[in-house]
Amino acid sequence: MGSLTPADAQVDGGFFATKTEAFINWGRKNSLWPMPLGLSCCGIELMAMLGPKFDLARFGAEAARFSPRQCDLLIIAGTMTWKMAQAVRLTYDQMPDPKWVIAMGVCSSSGGMYDSYAVVQGADSILPVDVYVPGCPPRPDAVIDALLKLQSRIEREHPLKRVFGDFSGPEGDEGTGEQTHQPNFGLGTSHLDAHPHTPSHVNEENKQR
Amino acid sequence: MSSTVTPAGTPAVDTEAIAAALEGITTKWITTPDGIPTVELPVERVHEALTRLKTNAEFEFCTLVTAIDHFPASPRFQVIWQLLSLARNQRVRVYARPSDDDAVVATCTDLWPGAAFSERECFDMFGIRFAGHVNLRRLLMPDGYDHHPLRKDFPHQGIQPDRLYREWDAERRGQWESEKDGGSQ
Repeated sequence: MGSLTPADAQVDGGFFATKTEAFINWGRKNSLWPMPLGLSCCGIELMAMLGPKFDLARFGAEAARFSPRQCDLLIIAGTMTWKMAQAVRLTYDQMPDPKWVIAMGVCSSSGGMYDSYAVVQGADSILPVDVYVPGCPPRPDAVIDALLKLQSRIEREHPLKRVFGDFSGPEGDEGTGEQTHQPNFGLGTSHLDAHPHTPSHVNEENKQR
Repeated sequence: MSSTVTPAGTPAVDTEAIAAALEGITTKWITTPDGIPTVELPVERVHEALTRLKTNAEFEFCTLVTAIDHFPASPRFQVIWQLLSLARNQRVRVYARPSDDDAVVATCTDLWPGAAFSERECFDMFGIRFAGHVNLRRLLMPDGYDHHPLRKDFPHQGIQPDRLYREWDAERRGQWESEKDGGSQ
């Protein structure tokens, strides 16, 4: 992805779009507003992360809002039961695009030690997950690392592809920024299963796979 | 009944008040290792007995309503009420065994409204219905789940209620799709 310094800008082809995308991504990655969905003990570590000692404000993600309408980063912190899964999915659907998901802790990543009839075996059964954080519960450092990984991922996204369609970016582009989501539970596929950051034609291909 | 094991500091078990309250009801006294006076009662008279224990014997607090599944045995279910007398620092436990095919017992939420959640959990986990309960829905599992997880014939690995989630999701998506279609026309 291009840089914000004019000296690095490549004038050849897609100049305007690349610069705009870099600017959008810079804004998005440094102003993530987390939705703290504390479902169990991971929620305590989440509070520590937002508190003064670990201070998520250093990365621009301290504005935790308790309304999904104001958030763009869903942090699923803790054991998700099937009864709670509906609420989690509704929360996710109520968040405006663009949105990202961190599955915090082994329970929301894979079900963890709860190989149980009541627990969802991984949040990716019901919604697309961007970053998984291992740990039971993970230390706040680990989640901050996940946030940084997510930021570097947002940096590589192509937000304008959804508006202008596919265009050839400059040479030396790091990664495609395309993300695909395959529900691991064989849930029905529809356009709602598609990863929100993926251009529509890629999602069509995924659906046919 | 003799209490063999009594924790230090607790008053000696006095079963006379219980026996007096339960006079006229066929009771079977059971000795338990923890020394709590335990009686087994016929299902249809449990509610009457609990009322009398509350009013006549000062058992004003219902600690617990739960059940045990003795699956291959018959009758398989054993519903348990455990009461506490705060005035006399004494507990009593009441057993009843409802029939297998129609496991119904009378609710005690009219005596102790706080028993409502215990009874809902018991219904959820064992499928025992409490007649007269005003809101007997599942507590921990999603509505519409076909199984009762704490029954002994429930598979050890468990049965995930993902089908319910998928149905809920499909229905919701169908609504969205139709709204979307309606909006575009």
